[in-house]
Amino acid sequence: MEALRKLLSPRSGVCGESCEVGAGPGLLLRGKPGSGKTALLFAAALVAAGEGRGPVLFVARRAVQRLPPGWKGGAARDPLRLQKIHFLYPPSFRELLQLLSGMHETAAQPPSLLLLDGLDEYLAETSGPQACAHLAALLVDTVAHFSGCSSSNCGLLVTMRSPDEVETEEAALQLTVLQRYLPTCLWLEPEPPDLAEARPQDPGGYFRARVSSGPDFPKQEWCLSFGHNGEMAISQVTCQPSQHQPQKTEISSSS
Amino acid sequence: MRATLPVVVEELLSEIASTCRDLAKVPDELLLALKFLFGPSAVQALDLVDRHSVTRISSPSGRIVYQVLGSSGKVYTCFASCHYCSCPAFTFSVLRKSDSLLCKHLLATYLSLAMGVCQDLSVSNKQLAGILLAQEDPEG
Repeated sequence: MEALRKLLSPRSGVCGESCEVGAGPGLLLRGKPGSGKTALLFAAALVAAGEGRGPVLFVARRAVQRLPPGWKGGAARDPLRLQKIHFLYPPSFRELLQLLSGMHETAAQPPSLLLLDGLDEYLAETSGPQACAHLAALLVDTVAHFSGCSSSNCGLLVTMRSPDEVETEEAALQLTVLQRYLPTCLWLEPEPPDLAEARPQDPGGYFRARVSSGPDFPKQEWCLSFGHNGEMAISQVTCQPSQHQPQKTEISSSS
Repeated sequence: MRATLPVVVEELLSEIASTCRDLAKVPDELLLALKFLFGPSAVQALDLVDRHSVTRISSPSGRIVYQVLGSSGKVYTCFASCHYCSCPAFTFSVLRKSDSLLCKHLLATYLSLAMGVCQDLSVSNKQLAGILLAQEDPEG
């Protein structure tokens, strides 16, 4: 599965290989609260910031309260990388639309990655498919513009909380509309509590993500780690015993 | 426009573009094909094209957006990179019911581009931001 690779190098990225699969410039990352969406987004920001391309825009409703666990060492300590991540906190749906539609006015250097954390929080303020389509289309249009004005593409990663209960009709419609603009979707699964307890307290420097293409698809677990020099390595962790043969593939990339 | 269209639509548009260059008009069989693919909105879209209703708006930043003057006199915004139009028909038939691919304004934009009959307008970066943002105010 190229999922994580794709995730961390939307379009053309660290791995050198462009991601044509699942056409469309963006990726929608869904998951329950606590499944590590923000952490993975932050990881993507650090990776892209280390690529030597444009800045990374990290958009969220409110400030990141704390660095996600596991990011204490390595790349997150590199001030040059952190400087390239620009955090923007539009407090309302309207202000988010304003920010996106005016992004071409201010950007001195085209960003390499646009990240939006917590799309659901903004959509909660609206109703109907029109507002949702306007926001999604503006996201796509913004990255398309930035991709057009530099030699390398600008990636787009959006996270959204998946609902705990059965979705309302309105929410289902909003999701259909979103997927029109962001057709590639990945699910993040939280780590089962028994596994989390079994492991010694997080030593820092690595991050685990359990990714699948949908709630009923086989999960794959990946481990991301950052070396002290900021090098990132992704390796697949063995699957749950009940699932297919665990594959031992390793993707390393020098970002 | 860089949004993805079904292959058949892409082929038709490029055929329209090439015949327009040579003959300065669109042959009947291509018009029929349009009508077959898009139903009544094909005629409405061609009407908008005839009236030069589509304007390609650009700003110094290089960002582009299209505006279409609708038959009612209202101006609608169509995005350059993906299928989005601010008109109510787009919300209803494309987004809500998913029973059409494009609204007549988006189709008119594609056709105007293929036939080379878009009006051009340059605005400031700020004005372009306003056009991308606006949806409900009377000027579109």
